Order: sequence, then C-alpha cells, then structure tokens
Amino acid sequence: MIAGLSISKDSYQALVLSALGIALILIMLLSLSLGAYAIPFSSVLAILGEQFGLSLEGVDRSAANVLLQIRLPRIIIALLIGGGLGIAGAALQGLFRNPLVEPGLIGVSSGSALFAVVFIVLIPGLAGSSNLIQNLGMPLFAFLGGLTHVWAVYQLARTQGRTDTATLILAGVAINALAGALIGLTLFFADDSALRSFTFWSLGDLGASSWSKFPVAISLIGIPSIMLMLEYRNLNALSLGEREAFHMGISVQRVKIKILILSALIVGVGVSLAGMIGFVGLVVPHLIRIGFGANHRLVLPASFLLGAILLNVADLMARTVVSPAELPIGVLTALIGAPFFIYLIFKLNKINS
Amino acid sequence: MLQAEDIHFCIRQRPIVKKASISVNPGEILAVLGPNGAGKSTLFKILAGEISCTRGQVDYNGQNLRALKTQQLASVRAVMPQHSTVSFPFTAREVVELGLPKDSKKNSEKNIREVMELTKVVHLEDRLYQQLSGGEKQRVQLARVLIQIWEKKPFPRYLLLDEPTSSLDISQQHIVLDILKKLKSQNIGVLIVLHDLNLAAHYADRIAIVKDGLIAGVGKVEEVYSESLLSEVFDHPIRLVKDQETQQILVSSNSAFHSELKISKQAQA
Repeated sequence: MIAGLSISKDSYQALVLSALGIALILIMLLSLSLGAYAIPFSSVLAILGEQFGLSLEGVDRSAANVLLQIRLPRIIIALLIGGGLGIAGAALQGLFRNPLVEPGLIGVSSGSALFAVVFIVLIPGLAGSSNLIQNLGMPLFAFLGGLTHVWAVYQLARTQGRTDTATLILAGVAINALAGALIGLTLFFADDSALRSFTFWSLGDLGASSWSKFPVAISLIGIPSIMLMLEYRNLNALSLGEREAFHMGISVQRVKIKILILSALIVGVGVSLAGMIGFVGLVVPHLIRIGFGANHRLVLPASFLLGAILLNVADLMARTVVSPAELPIGVLTALIGAPFFIYLIFKLNKINS
Repeated sequence: MLQAEDIHFCIRQRPIVKKASISVNPGEILAVLGPNGAGKSTLFKILAGEISCTRGQVDYNGQNLRALKTQQLASVRAVMPQHSTVSFPFTAREVVELGLPKDSKKNSEKNIREVMELTKVVHLEDRLYQQLSGGEKQRVQLARVLIQIWEKKPFPRYLLLDEPTSSLDISQQHIVLDILKKLKSQNIGVLIVLHDLNLAAHYADRIAIVKDGLIAGVGKVEEVYSESLLSEVFDHPIRLVKDQETQQILVSSNSAFHSELKISKQAQA
C-alpha cells in the first residue's frame, strides 16, 4: 500500500495519524463557530484562549456561554461517540473477519437501546432520582444489552471458525426488528418523559450532550477505545483465521471475549448517551483500509480519529442545514452509509464470484 | 524431538485415532500418508495442540504439550494449514510480518528478508495478498509460518504442514517441498501430511502410514513402501517400479494392473 514511499512504517503511521488529528481539530473549531447562533472564528479562538489563561478583549459572555456550555460538550461527546463507533466497527470487523459487520447492522446498537429503554421503565421515578443511577446505570445496562446481542449474533453466524455473511446480516435484521418493536412497545406504554422519543433511540441525537455526561463518556468510551487499540496484534492474527491465530500463540478465546466486551461497552454507552447512530462503524474502517492498508496497528487508531471527524461533520450538518431546527443525526449518517453499504455488497459479490 | 505416544482420540465413543505413536526428529522430514478418513487430520490436530487426545501424550522436546502455554507452544512449533484466507487487504509482506513472534524486535528485519528469499516471495512484497496466484499465496503463507520459528534457539523447532500442496500444480509442489528440504540446517523438524505417494518418496526422510487411526507402518521409504502394504492401506492395487535414470522408487496405480490383481486375489482365495 505504501509502495513508492521510502519512509519507515512507524513514520508513515505517525504521519497518517497526525493528519487525521489535525483534520479533527479543524472540524471541531469550525463546528464551534457555526450554528443557529453564529460565533465568528476570531471569537471562538478568543473564548478558547481565555480558558487557557490568555486574557483577550472583547469576549462576548453570551457567546462564551453558548460555546463552552452547549457546543463544546456536544462536540467532545460527538468526538468520543464517533471515534468509539469507528474503532468498535474496525474491531468487530476484524473479529468477525467480515468487512460488512457494523454495530448497527448486526444488532449491537438496537440491543443496547432496548436495554436502555427497559432500564428506564424498570427503575420508576428515575427522571428526578439520583444522577448516579441515571448517569452510570443506564450506560452499563445498555452495555449489557449490546453484549448479549453481539454474543448471540456471533454464535448464530459462526460456522467452523468463520462467520457467514448472509447469516450475520439476517440475524442482525431479525434482532433489529425485534428490538425496534420492543422499544416502540415500551415507549408506547410507558409514558415517561425520561424515555425520550422513538426518534432519539432509532436515529440518534447529540442535542442532549452536556458536561454532566462527559465523565461517563471519557471513562466508558475513551478508555475502552485505547484498550482496543492495544489489541492490534491479536486482531491482525485473527484476520488469518482463528485456527491460525491459535497456531501463532494467541489465546483466541480470551482475546475474542475481551474484544466483544470492549466493543459492546463502547457502543452501548454511546447509544445510551445519543441513541443509535448507524453506519459510522461500517464506513470508517473501510475508508481507512482503502486509504492506508489493513494493518490494525494503524486501522484502529485511525478509525477512531476518522469516526470522530465524520460524526462531527454529520452533527454540524444536522445542526446547520435546517437551522434553527435540527435533523436527526442518524438521517445523515444513513444517507452516506446506506449507499456505501450497497456498494460494498456489490464489491464483495464481485470478489466472491 | 516431537514425540507422540499412544495417543487416542474418540468422537462420540468412536475411536478416530487409536494408540498411535509417532515422532519427528529435528532436521528430518516425516511424511504422513494415508487414505481419506484414516485419522490423519485428527492426528495432525492433536500434534498441533488444537485438540487434546483422550489418552496418551504429546511431548515437544521432552515437555508435555498440555503443560505448554499457547505462546510457548508457538515458539516451538508452527503450523501451515491446507489453505488460508486473509480477510482484509494485507500486502504479502504484511502477511509475512503477521507471523513474527511477539518478542522479536532485534533481528526481525533480517529474518523477514531471509524467509522471504527462501520462499521466493521478495518480489511480491508490495502486492496485495488477495490478488496473488494459488502458488504465490501458499509460498507467502509458508514464509509467514516459517518466520514464527526462524530465529535460532537453543532448542529444535518443528513445522507441521497439512497437505500444503493439495491445490498446487506440479512445479509449485516441488518448489514448496524444496523449500522444506532447506530447513534441515535450521534445526527444524518437519511433519507433512501428503497425498502424493511419489512426492513423499522423493522428499521425505521417513514415512508414516496411517490407516483406521493406527500407524500401519513407519520408517524409511524403502522400508515402508511395499506393494502389499500400500495396496492394502489405500484399498487399491499399487505397483512399485524403479526409475531407470534416478533409481528412485515410483508408485504406479494404473487400472490395467487393477484387474490383474483382483484376479490373483480371487485365485488366492
């Protein structure tokens, strides 16, 4: 993939990651500036500079409030959720040895959403109750839902150490339909404002992001993402097959469980914070592999960065296209992702035939 | 030495491998032959550590297989499966690098170079694995497997290959087996499951013949290859002839002879 370039693998990796990192920072700055309440770019820099102790004149307090209390947490949560979806997609594709795997398609997201909704119904009077339960209990419950579903799909679709694409997608379709129906049913009967809307769960919404969600997001998405990045060697070996990975000295069962748990945690917590956002986990690892090769040492961190970029771009569009109203963010990711998915099916059919 | 003693394996009370004993010495090629369903694959999996035997034991250099951690085992033996698929667009060189042991930082560049030269895949290094021909893929896989045990160690290492040539044309088959011959100087013992009796006779130092989960014969080619044993094991009349030029044993299984033997068998009865 890097033929013709006479630089070492390490510096190539550093180059790709810093380019993505810079792109992410730029899109975040742009995102801070644009929106229903436009803040000029110079003010954005001034307000941010003030936070780091640089005192600059002419900082508008209301602009600073919008930026620091509304936009910044939203952008950072979007960074973590998008990055998490990207890296979880990459890891799950590696584990299933199947490039069509995506947390949304195979039912991890809807499993998480279902469990999150059920959690709210099971714990009555939650709306006003302790923040700890809501802030920590729901994400963890959503994680359990995601884990249950990903485990079920994994067992269903695996035959002789490989996953069959058709079974995988069909299992995902079935689980998505069932979880969707159960979510709808729960929402219909439980008239609780804490449940939010069906749109929130099925198409996602970053609008509820605030600093209060940040600790959960950074610890239950950020840290697991870093832990997944360290699994690159195992995921590389697994792309040869489970038998081969075992021959190469990898404790396959342990590695599989670890990757499933970390991915389900990232996706589940993301869903509990912002609902189901589809296709990020599908598109991102693909673009990275097409552009920079298949080595998971690069694919995993790069997928995190590109996922963060993509979700911030999508969120920026969701906020600005029909401003002052907002589009559900899942609409945008699906608009990009679904055609891409169809293209992938075509491409894989061509390879297989 | 890789040594399996009295190993036994059952699936649902039905014995697949019974009291099989087999050993591979460092620096030799042992070919395992036998008809389909003889238990070769099961025996292979037991030796590779994928499944454990119901009875008996397998030792690598005197250490019981069960006592070895997955990673320790990987430093003593490498396994080449029949054919491997790679699910993502790795380049040939990246596939080879996948086989690098975890603790090898120092000589990895030199080792990669050496195995890729030995398996003649250097010129393919930047090509995508998925786009290589069958023979090229197999050689890249061989390089990937070899790198795992290439580093010289104070103990001998072993390479197990499960019909690595089954989908290759004649010249590719010889290329692969020629590579294996060169491993002798590396203190590596090779166990290879083969279907082609001539290929085995040509390259193996010793041959083990498996039939119905038992080792029906083991030894040097001239000790094991007899018309009666081979015909019996493969349930097909087999004739041995000598190549006029090389004086090597050639195995013939043509059907003209088939009817003749059937008749003589009936006559004996």
